Order: sequence, then C-alpha cells, then structure tokens
Amino acid sequence: MICLASPRILVIGGGPAGLSASIDLFEAGADVVLVEKEDVLGGTPKKLHYSLIAPDLKPVEEVLDPLIRQVESSAVTKKLGTVVSAIENGNGHVNVTFTSNGGKEEAVFDAVILATGFTHWDPHKKYEYGYGVYPDVIDFKDFEKMLSDDNLARPSNGKMPARIGWLLCVGSRDRQVGKFYCCRVGCAVSIKQAMEVKKKHPEIDTYIYYMDIRTYGFWEDQLYWKAMEDLNVKFIRGRIGAISKGDEGSLVAMAEDTILQRPSEVPFDMLVLTTGMEASQGTVEMAKLLGLEMEEHGFVRPLEADSLPVHTTVENVFVAGTATGPKAIPDAITEGSAAAIKAFNYVRRSRGKKATGRSMKKDARAYAE
Amino acid sequence: MPIHEKHLIEKQKIIQKDSAELEGRDVSGQWNIFIQQRILSQYHPSMADEIASTPDGRTINRCWQCGTCTSGCCMHTDFGLREFNPRYFIYLAKIGDEEELKKYKDVIWRCLACNKCVERCPKDVRVEEVIHAIDGYMRKKGWMDDTPASRWDDEYVGNVLKTGILDEIMLLRNYIRDEEMKEFNAGYMMRMGMNMLKTGRLRTGPIRHRTKGWKKVRKVAEEILEKDGYELQ
Ligand code: SF4
Ligand code: SF4
Ligand code: SF4
Repeated sequence: MICLASPRILVIGGGPAGLSASIDLFEAGADVVLVEKEDVLGGTPKKLHYSLIAPDLKPVEEVLDPLIRQVESSAVTKKLGTVVSAIENGNGHVNVTFTSNGGKEEAVFDAVILATGFTHWDPHKKYEYGYGVYPDVIDFKDFEKMLSDDNLARPSNGKMPARIGWLLCVGSRDRQVGKFYCCRVGCAVSIKQAMEVKKKHPEIDTYIYYMDIRTYGFWEDQLYWKAMEDLNVKFIRGRIGAISKGDEGSLVAMAEDTILQRPSEVPFDMLVLTTGMEASQGTVEMAKLLGLEMEEHGFVRPLEADSLPVHTTVENVFVAGTATGPKAIPDAITEGSAAAIKAFNYVRRSRGKKATGRSMKKDARAYAE
Repeated sequence: MPIHEKHLIEKQKIIQKDSAELEGRDVSGQWNIFIQQRILSQYHPSMADEIASTPDGRTINRCWQCGTCTSGCCMHTDFGLREFNPRYFIYLAKIGDEEELKKYKDVIWRCLACNKCVERCPKDVRVEEVIHAIDGYMRKKGWMDDTPASRWDDEYVGNVLKTGILDEIMLLRNYIRDEEMKEFNAGYMMRMGMNMLKTGRLRTGPIRHRTKGWKKVRKVAEEILEKDGYELQ
C-alpha cells in the first residue's frame, strides 16, 4: 500500500548543499522544512562574504542568489535564526524540537538531510605565523571579504600593498596541529585570489608558497596555468616556517626555497594564510543528536564513502556538502540534489515496505547497485 | 674553449689534460678540458631502508621535502652554514645518493639538536633524530670517522650510565681534554657554562649524586640501548 501523504523531510543548514536539497525535494513534491541558525540563507560563503567563485570567477551572489531566491519563493518552510535543540529518532519517525527567539516548537519528519557544513580552521593555533599579532597577516576568509568589498589595503596602515604572499596548507596536512587531510580548495582559491588581485592591480607582486599545487581537473588550466602564464603570479616551492617582523613595517616570510636550496627571508606587505576546513560546530552537534558515526578526520562518516556518499550510518538520515569533508561549492550543490532524491525515495520505499521489515541498509546498497 | 661559469662546476668534475689528441690531431689548448657528467643514473633504496630501520631514523619516509625544517634550522640560518640543509640530507638518503651525501661529511654532524625542526615539521618527521641516523649510517659505512658530535654522544651516554645522573663538570672536563672544544665555538660554550653555573643548572662540588637503585636500572637501560642498536663503549 503506497501512502499518499507527501514525505516530510527536514533539511538542516541553509548553505549551498541545503539550498539545493530543499529545492529538489520541494520540486519532487515533498513537505520540506529548512532550518538555518543564521538569519540569512547562503551558508558560509555568504556569511563570510566570499568574492569570486572558481572556476568561472563569478561573484558569489551570481552563484548562490538564484538558489536562495528559488527557496524563498517556494513553499519550503523556512526557519531562520532557529536551531535544532533535540531529536528523537525511532520507528521511522524523527521528532525534532526547534528553538528560536520565539521559543520552542516540535515537528515530526520521515527523514533528515544534514547539510551543516564546515568552518575555516583557526590560524591562531599556528603561533609561528603571528596571526592576531601582526595585523598584516590575515587569513583566507579575511582576504575574501577584502576582495568582495573591493577594499584591498594593508590592515596596519590602510595603504595599498605592493607585494602579497600566500601560505598554502595552514591547518591542513600538518601533523603538528592534528590535521592530516588536504582542504581540496585552498590552492585553487588562493590562486583565484591572486588572479583577482592581478587583474585589478597588475602592479602588485603576488607570490604563492607551496609544497604541492592541487588544482585538480579543470582548475589546472583555468586557474593555475592562467595565473602563471597570463597574470604573472609567482610560485615558490617551499613551506614557510615562520613569519617575523621586517624593516619599515614589512613582514618577513621565512622559508627554504627548496629549488635554490637556500633560506629565503623576503619582505612582504601582506601575507595570507590559506586555512583549511574542519567540520563546523553545527555539524558536530547535529551528528551527535542524530547518533551519526564520525570518521577519523572529525567529519560525518558516509555509509560507504565510495558508493553511498550521501547515506549515513542512520538509515533515515542523509548528508550533503562539507559535513562529510572538504568540498567545493559546486560539489556541495550536487550532493544536495543527490541527498534529496535518496531521502525522497527512501521515504516512499519505506512506507511501501514497512510491513516486510527489510533492512534499509541492505536496501540502500541494493538500490545503489 | 674556455668554460665561462667555471665556479658553478664542482672542481672534482673538471678534468684538464696537458695535451689532447683527436683523430691524430693535436687539439690541446682547445679541447683539453672535460667535465664529467652529473646525471643521476641509479637509485639505492637500501640506504633509506637501513636508516628507517634504526630507532632514530624511523620517521624518514614521512618527509615530503617542504623545507620547513631548513627554513628555521639554527645551523642553516643563524649560524649561516648553508651546506647544512636537513631537508636535502633526507632527500639524498631517501634516493640513496652516496656520492653526494659524502660531500657533507664535514657538515652533517653539526646539528645543534635544538629541535626547532621537530617542533615545526608538518609531517612530524623527527628531523633531528633522522639527521643523527644518517650521520650514524655514514659512520657505520666508514664514509666518515668519528666526529666531535659522536664523541660527545658517547661521552654523554657513558657519563649518564655511570650513576644515572648527568655530571656536567665531568662531561665537559673529559670533552675538553679530548680537545674537541676547538671544533665548537669555545667562547660561546664557556659563556653558556658560566650562565649555567650562575643559575644553578650546573652541579658543582665533590659529591657525585646517584640515582637510587641505579645498578638494576642501568642493566635495563643498557639492554634497551643495545637492542636499539647503540654500541656501548
Ligand atoms: S588544497 Fe592546496 S592549500 Fe589546501 S591543503 Fe590541499 S594542497 Fe594545501
Ligand atoms: S619539515 Fe619535515 S617534511 Fe618538511 S622537509 Fe623537513 S623533514 Fe621533510
Ligand atoms: S635540531 Fe639540528 S637540524 Fe633541527 S633545526 Fe636544530 S640544528 Fe637544525
């Protein structure tokens, strides 16, 4: 017996993945509630004012605003400025308590999509780079905001920098800080930032200190080669060990130029730390409430990383975006759609098969095959 | 033909002949200088394997050549000994380039054991230990003799093994007696010694302190050292 009532699905998180999941669920005919703890939709890219988005270098508004508008104009129930404070999951019903300024509220769902994303790693923890001590040492997200505000200036004196450097892999691929994984987007975004600088101000010198450049797929020629060949962005092979004060308010990036086999202590006006990604606090908290397993890097463990990437270890909970690991915006959007169809079909099938009592995990696997 | 950038070529690679003949014709003056090729023609993985099997060398295969260690290395930067490049030593050991590594036999032992590299290495290579292991490997192969650093190590371990507590005065005395001080910056060492005296970090006086029950502990310590491949004097 197929039940005719629409699947009731909760999407937690209003970033790229959550937005795309909500739209697809709504279009498929589900009853969708989208809960977001901030007062605006768009997630971290909007909240932190990212500038242009790779690979087409479109402003973040052009990429995300159409999704936001679709959700806003649809009948998706939007709960902004609201958090999920309690969850009870049993017998195929998820009882959820929402908390906001307006008080508490409860609702029941058939399935949940977790799209609670990531945060940028805190560079204060890498004390030898002096973030928070030297005003001209800024991080990745600070620089994005600077670019999107069109306000390129040294924080120390408000003047235009003549030379900017980037340090890749800060808080990524570093046993010293317990982060063993690659952030996947840092190289691309740093190169993109240097390209933005060079396009507007060709007179500014830009240097990227790298160990490996990981601009996989089309980012190779669209970003790395373009930056190097057309925009004269320079690449120095060596990882900066420390940053110290130089003459006349400059900063000195202390590295070994591994190609020269020599110490290099070159002055800069600004240094940008390309910080890595870690699971957001929301991701960690929600995973706990939902009883999800985490994987060894602190992200949500997908049921099968290879074949069931948007399923979780709990059968009626699905996951999309950076909650399962570092990812670019287009990938998060794709996963939102994937999680939507998986959740929708799960509810339909479970209603149809409730009587048979088949294991849903087996079912999900069979479905994937 | 003159070699314009002669300083870029290692001296031992230049072969100069007084006279040269080519197909019966005397070409000396024109073709009497040869440069040996510098092509790397073989890898020797056994070198890294052997180093990795020692307690000090166990983290060598973690290195991905980022240069963070060298960028902050006291010997490399503060003391300005450019040839002392821990990243490069590790690379040479990993590819097994004996010829190149041997060029650094007067340099590689000069690590100060300040451990700045260990603190910073993103892959958690125990750089200081690994350099020590490469140094040890080179001595074991007979590529270099005992060095002031290795004699210091022996002196140090022997000293501690005696009573279980380091006797700095004895250590320095024996070491100075061996006339090793001149290899180091003697003035600097003396100043450091004086400062240690002033701050009470150097034990003085006739009584040799001793760890309680040291005899038993010593046996265990020696067993472990031997198991770790340390040759006790
Ligand atoms: S993407 Fe680039 S910056 Fe980010 S961790 Fe990987 S190599 Fe480093
Ligand atoms: S810092 Fe560590 S990984 Fe980097 S070159 Fe030195 S030993 Fe290798
Ligand atoms: S321990 Fe040795 S190799 Fe490491 S930074 Fe100090 S001097 Fe350099």
